[in-house]
Amino acid sequence: MWRGLWTLAAQAARGPRRLCTRRNSGAPVPGSGATIFALSSGQGRCGVAVIRTSGPASGHALRILTAPRDLPPARHASLRLLSDPRSGEPLDRALVLWFPGPKSFTGEDCVEFHVHGGPAVVSGVLRALGSVPGLRPAEAGEFTRRAFAHGKLNLTEVEGLADLIHAETEAQRRQALRQLDGELGHLCRGWAETLTKALAHVEAYIDFGEDDNLEEGVLEQANIEVRALEVALGAHLRDARRGQRLRSGAHVVVTGPPNAGKSSLVNLLSRKPVSIVSPEPGTTRDVLETPVDLAGFPVLLSDTAGLREGVGPVEQEGVRRARERLEQADLILAMLDASDLASPSSCNFLATVVASAGAQSRSSSSQRLLLVLNKSDLLSTEGPGPGPDMPPHLLLSCVTGEGLDGLLEALKMELAAVCGDPSTGPPLLTRARHQHHLQGCLDALGHYKQSKDLALAAEALRVARGHLTRLTGGGGTEEILDIIFRDFCVGK
Amino acid sequence: MFSFRGCGGRVAASFTKRHFPLPRLGSDSAEPRTPHFDVIVIGGGHAGTEAATAAARCGSRTLLLTHRVDTIGQMSCNPSFGGIGKGHLMREVDALDGLCSRICDQSGVHYKVLNRCKGPAVWGLRAQIDRKLYKQNMQKEILSTPLLTVQEGAVEDLILTEPEPEHTGKCRVSGVILVDGSTVYSESVILTTGTFLRGMIVIGLEMHPAGRLGDQPSIGLAQTLEKLGFVVGRLKTGTPPRIAKDSINFSILNKQTPDNPSLPFSFMNETVWIKPEDQLPCYLTHTNPRVDEIVLKNLHLNSHVKETIRGPRYCPSIESKVLRFPNRQHQVWLEPEGMDSDLIYPQGLSMTLPAELQEKMITCIRGLEKAKVIQPGYGVQYDYLDPRQITPSLETHLVQRLFFAGQINGTTGYEEAAAQGVIAGINASLRVNRKPPFVVSRTEGYIGVLIDDLTTLGTSEPYRMFTSRVEFRLSLRPDNADSRLTLRGYKEAGCVSQQRYERACWMKSSLEEGISVLKSIEFSSSKWKNLIPEASISTSRSLPVRALDVLKYEEVDVDSLAKAVPEPLKKYTKCRELAERLKIEATYESVLFHQLQEIKEVQRDEALQLPKDLDYLTVRDVSLSHEVREKLHFSRPQTIGAASRIPGVTPAAIINLLRFVKTTQQRQAAMNESPKTDQYLRDTDRLQERELQ
Repeated sequence: MWRGLWTLAAQAARGPRRLCTRRNSGAPVPGSGATIFALSSGQGRCGVAVIRTSGPASGHALRILTAPRDLPPARHASLRLLSDPRSGEPLDRALVLWFPGPKSFTGEDCVEFHVHGGPAVVSGVLRALGSVPGLRPAEAGEFTRRAFAHGKLNLTEVEGLADLIHAETEAQRRQALRQLDGELGHLCRGWAETLTKALAHVEAYIDFGEDDNLEEGVLEQANIEVRALEVALGAHLRDARRGQRLRSGAHVVVTGPPNAGKSSLVNLLSRKPVSIVSPEPGTTRDVLETPVDLAGFPVLLSDTAGLREGVGPVEQEGVRRARERLEQADLILAMLDASDLASPSSCNFLATVVASAGAQSRSSSSQRLLLVLNKSDLLSTEGPGPGPDMPPHLLLSCVTGEGLDGLLEALKMELAAVCGDPSTGPPLLTRARHQHHLQGCLDALGHYKQSKDLALAAEALRVARGHLTRLTGGGGTEEILDIIFRDFCVGK
Repeated sequence: MFSFRGCGGRVAASFTKRHFPLPRLGSDSAEPRTPHFDVIVIGGGHAGTEAATAAARCGSRTLLLTHRVDTIGQMSCNPSFGGIGKGHLMREVDALDGLCSRICDQSGVHYKVLNRCKGPAVWGLRAQIDRKLYKQNMQKEILSTPLLTVQEGAVEDLILTEPEPEHTGKCRVSGVILVDGSTVYSESVILTTGTFLRGMIVIGLEMHPAGRLGDQPSIGLAQTLEKLGFVVGRLKTGTPPRIAKDSINFSILNKQTPDNPSLPFSFMNETVWIKPEDQLPCYLTHTNPRVDEIVLKNLHLNSHVKETIRGPRYCPSIESKVLRFPNRQHQVWLEPEGMDSDLIYPQGLSMTLPAELQEKMITCIRGLEKAKVIQPGYGVQYDYLDPRQITPSLETHLVQRLFFAGQINGTTGYEEAAAQGVIAGINASLRVNRKPPFVVSRTEGYIGVLIDDLTTLGTSEPYRMFTSRVEFRLSLRPDNADSRLTLRGYKEAGCVSQQRYERACWMKSSLEEGISVLKSIEFSSSKWKNLIPEASISTSRSLPVRALDVLKYEEVDVDSLAKAVPEPLKKYTKCRELAERLKIEATYESVLFHQLQEIKEVQRDEALQLPKDLDYLTVRDVSLSHEVREKLHFSRPQTIGAASRIPGVTPAAIINLLRFVKTTQQRQAAMNESPKTDQYLRDTDRLQERELQ
């Protein structure tokens, strides 16, 4: 809930506020809301990437990145050298556009940076923006929300806007889930837990310290934990190599009942034996991922365990992981055995996974699904094919390769849609977001140490926790109260 | 309207059992057969008294109905007011010209500010109160309030009529039916029944129906509410035994003395009624393993503890403390009940053991070896109504013009009740006058946090105010409650006296002027160091330093600053309160500047109103999951901001809602049709305007 990102960067912000006295100079106006930024063009192999900001500090950010030049004329494309405000290092020669509000996409002051699409440039500019006081990465749907709030989208005329919104927010939700996977996610959760506990103890000391008897040394213990956290975060931020391995590209997950031929398809698409293939159901038990290039799009292809109930603990864990991975998918390749469509496992799969993705895709275009009926070679030429009730599907034989061209063609269309979605730019944005919030957290912890006033100190911890929970989710007041009542005997 | 002021004594004196001044006289000569009021308040506790007087201050002819007049202003539980978070609420109640703070300034016997060393944002104003004095002063105030009539009587049922078509709700309340069958009509009704809805008192294994020891519960009313479709829950609370003062050996206990000087609760008072040296001390003692033993051995005799309906997370009684945190010493504060009271209230010893065991347990405690229990502790179980069924103005969704305030909404504590009482009283009155509701936002006050938490999240344990619940804690301080609420209360609600309003305006403008003067004075850090040698100003900074930044140092106050720079700062030392408040503003200045940004973001979402009559379950033009629809349907959030705080309502759902509202607005503006729409649009526009100012 505590949104304050730069709440405590007081000293830093006072400088620019004083410098810019001219009207519409782009200096942040007190109390007019934070300024947000995001990569808003497609990622992948595009020549130009567009990064957008919205909010009162937009003009200020533009001036800082294009220093020593002044703001360009409004709504005119101008060529500018962008450089990192901290190091002065040049980032890119880019086209910039300055849209003073209210004549802009969101109705607020906006800036567009059209930069060369390479990952290094894009992440460099995102990092530079993140370092400008008053700027923070946009949250799910925030640009759209601001545009609505300022009456900027003529909604009745834009068809399919609900889909777009859903796609934006859902894609970001999936991305957040991915972030939580892996080592960095694990670290962040641990830090957030420590910090939440330390904050809860400080809050308890404020709310109950004098009336109820808390144990001695509550505050001292919190101080020790905060100091340790500061050291850990500092070390992590200094060590650039410990960044998460970037899993770039669209996430395509192959799923289906056991023995439908999922692993065969993965091997076929990646042109190498990634997964062990056997006629035995339940051969694949873990999630196997492999980066591939499909029809020119970077794709992370995941093979998963066949979905079924009531098997051994190892396979059950595999099924759990498969479902988890399914949640994160941009595109689902749902596979069924064409010769086994009447079996309970096939019907169940159709009724659950396929139907629910189908229902979703009507209201949102975000999570896409292709239904593939494998083993078409086993269907007799005259015999009964898939019934008329079967949803739209593709026929394929992993053995003969028949139907592969059709599948690749369909994949190409789906991937074009997925990769054209501006918000599925995981690696760059993820990294910028992480950096921004971890640095913000570390800065706030520094303020905790300095504050003699306990209310101010607690505020610093609240801000620090706010940064971490932006990455991990959660973060409400109830969590704090749960810890207070769990750890201390307080009450009437 | 005629005024009672000045003849308060006569009203009080002539007041007996069935006092019934007919309020509706006016110009129409036809005398009404049954009495008719603007606002009826049921219940004379802390919510009821504030609600009744607030409605009357707003100009409504108000009737306060209570079981017994002599229990008006009764402090049924602890003999104290305020504390951390609760003191904040009292300052806000006072800022809206409520009663409890002023009455505490006239009735306290031990004033002490908690958290003195932790920063002024979390100071907790607190006082031990003389129960008898409080009640006397409260009754005097109530009986002399213009436009307010008091009547004894138990309410059995509500009079319900057809709903007003331009509002939601399935019917409308238009009065009450008393137990004796008589009726009283009114334009709106406020229920502040506390623990009286199907109240049960529990001591040991005994249980008997009562709202408070010796008082009858309200059963008919509870049934009516249930029949209307209100979702009812059950909560429990408790109170400790009372001990004879002369049976306690204070000489071996830790003594706590009051503050010197005492800090008054009310903005209107410079001092309290009693000198620090005349105030009474409190004493501290602790439980020991023998207490644990008695609790554990006798659990089978303790039905209140056994029947955990759904126990709160905190420890409401000594039994739960022992069960949850075994082998520990627990604090027991021995608090005076009044100047000439023979009783001591052992705070921390709330219990429901059988009466004879209570004395046995108490005599195990140091200093209480010979203690006599005069009244045993007891537990209370009572009905509350899920507060997600009311709006932020405390009106129910189901019944138009019916308001709930206090424990009925699942809160605990006098201050929480008083805070809701003021808001309910103001809104019941505004509703009668067809004015827009008076809602305090989370960004404006603890009252706002309290009501927003209740109405959007509900509660499953008695809700108590903590400062940790408040996001903007550094902005919502006890010192500045008047700047936050008094001006609004005067202009929008009309519940604030002229005198208070003028004082708050003066203070606000003096503060603003003072801060800008302090910002304008700039010297080099070395010059400051010379001027105020005792301050630990670092001279390494080359930029000029503002006087406001110097005032941030712990060891600097306005006095020392004015000594260094007499012109123009001397004048700010003349008013103590102003000088202290300037110091506090300086302490938090840098953080407040940035907190303002977040506050604006929240306010922006709160200015986006959702249509009140939106049927979330069936509306088709908005894409929402079934789960989200159910949640929105039950809580009926009034703004996008409130909707986004409901757990499980996703960002996607919020944007879809926002889109729906905006398209509806556009379409309706284009067609410019029904009056209901106009009303809604005007409300929204008004809010947006306010935001811009």
